[in-house]
Amino acid sequence: MKVNGTPVHGYDPGARLLDVLRDHLGLRGVKEGCGVGECGSCTVLLDGDPVCSCLVFAGQADGRDVVTAEGLGTADDLSPLQRQFVDHQALQCGYCIPGVVVSAAAHLAEADHVSEDSVREALSGNLCRCTGYSKLVAAVLAAADHRDSP
Amino acid sequence: MIGPTLSRPRLVRAATTQLADALCARGRPVAGATDLLIHGLDTATPELVDLTAMSDARPPVEQLSGGVTRVSATAPISAIARAPVPIPAALAQAIAQFASPQIRNRATLGGNIANASPAADLVPPLVVTDAVLGLRSADGARSVPISDVLAGPGRTTLRAGEWIDYVDLHPVEHSGFRKLGYRRALAIAVVSLAWSWSATGTRLRDVRLAAGAVAPTVVRCPHAEAALTELTPAVVATAATAIHQDIAPIDDLRAHAWYRRDALSGLVRELAAPTEEQTGTQLSERNTTAS
Repeated sequence: MKVNGTPVHGYDPGARLLDVLRDHLGLRGVKEGCGVGECGSCTVLLDGDPVCSCLVFAGQADGRDVVTAEGLGTADDLSPLQRQFVDHQALQCGYCIPGVVVSAAAHLAEADHVSEDSVREALSGNLCRCTGYSKLVAAVLAAADHRDSP
Repeated sequence: MIGPTLSRPRLVRAATTQLADALCARGRPVAGATDLLIHGLDTATPELVDLTAMSDARPPVEQLSGGVTRVSATAPISAIARAPVPIPAALAQAIAQFASPQIRNRATLGGNIANASPAADLVPPLVVTDAVLGLRSADGARSVPISDVLAGPGRTTLRAGEWIDYVDLHPVEHSGFRKLGYRRALAIAVVSLAWSWSATGTRLRDVRLAAGAVAPTVVRCPHAEAALTELTPAVVATAATAIHQDIAPIDDLRAHAWYRRDALSGLVRELAAPTEEQTGTQLSERNTTAS
């Protein structure tokens, strides 16, 4: 598989994709929250689609493109979406944010028209236990405006 | 974590052969793995045959002659929803309410059937569209009606080494699906109901109702079906009572049996068409309350 554009080899195909990304590759933006697909903290893109990396066998990602929050932008070079999360102070404890940003990035890449409802639906698989959803949604909507009127 | 052995056959024939292989006596098929990775790997390290790498896999949805819709059992259900070929409304609505976007990008129709939960979201729509499953094994292919496959909670009549290849749905005029859960996303159904019928004027024909999470399997509801001859409030109220003869709910961690019985009656009553007295305002208030 390719992770954030770089070919990766030598992992256990029967391991969870989550463990390969965090422990094998050191991508700590991929968080394990619940480990049963309910919190969305471990969300990554698999060929552009958001998935819970705790519920994917690493071998099932063979030959496919995996993108984590680190692949969207770096601290020195934030993506426009990540920049909006900073500008909106769209985080409290921050644990859920990498997964939220990945789900939001998939929505912005796919949706022709972005609305508050569509953002809430797109983020429905990501739990924020600080319950700071309003700012998360505002940040994604601002990024959508930025996307549509660059 | 030491994972299980995961083989990824590249052809349908190879998948069938590997599942039958003696080396795979402890093996099992896997596709989306969204249940298996949670519940299936605790006691033994099984040998898994992944059904998601087959280059000759069928498309997510195909339209066959006679109005039959053939849906892949191994494609992610989001691919079924996105396919250019339309699917029955009941199944589309169930997919839209299924788990979360992330799970819909992995979970499969075959997995939801084989997992055999009485609360499975995608099964009631299959029951009301007279779904027939296409099964494969080294012994050949066979077709089985959905109701013959569901044996009990977590139990099916699938044979060892057999996997679900596709599901054929028969055309219906009107269909739909509703579920009650603790919240809208990522909620297991406390009660669910799928329906289909044809209408001549106000008279209903070929009524099929299937209820989830109120019996050991998803069940057809023949008493309620017989009572549901039209969508007037009085007739629908009769069906909402008759459906109690079709179910056997239990108390569990999600709800009491009495609640399931009452809530299912409520879902049936909501099938009533709005009457002329119900203005647009009243109707939208009713819908707000229901959502």
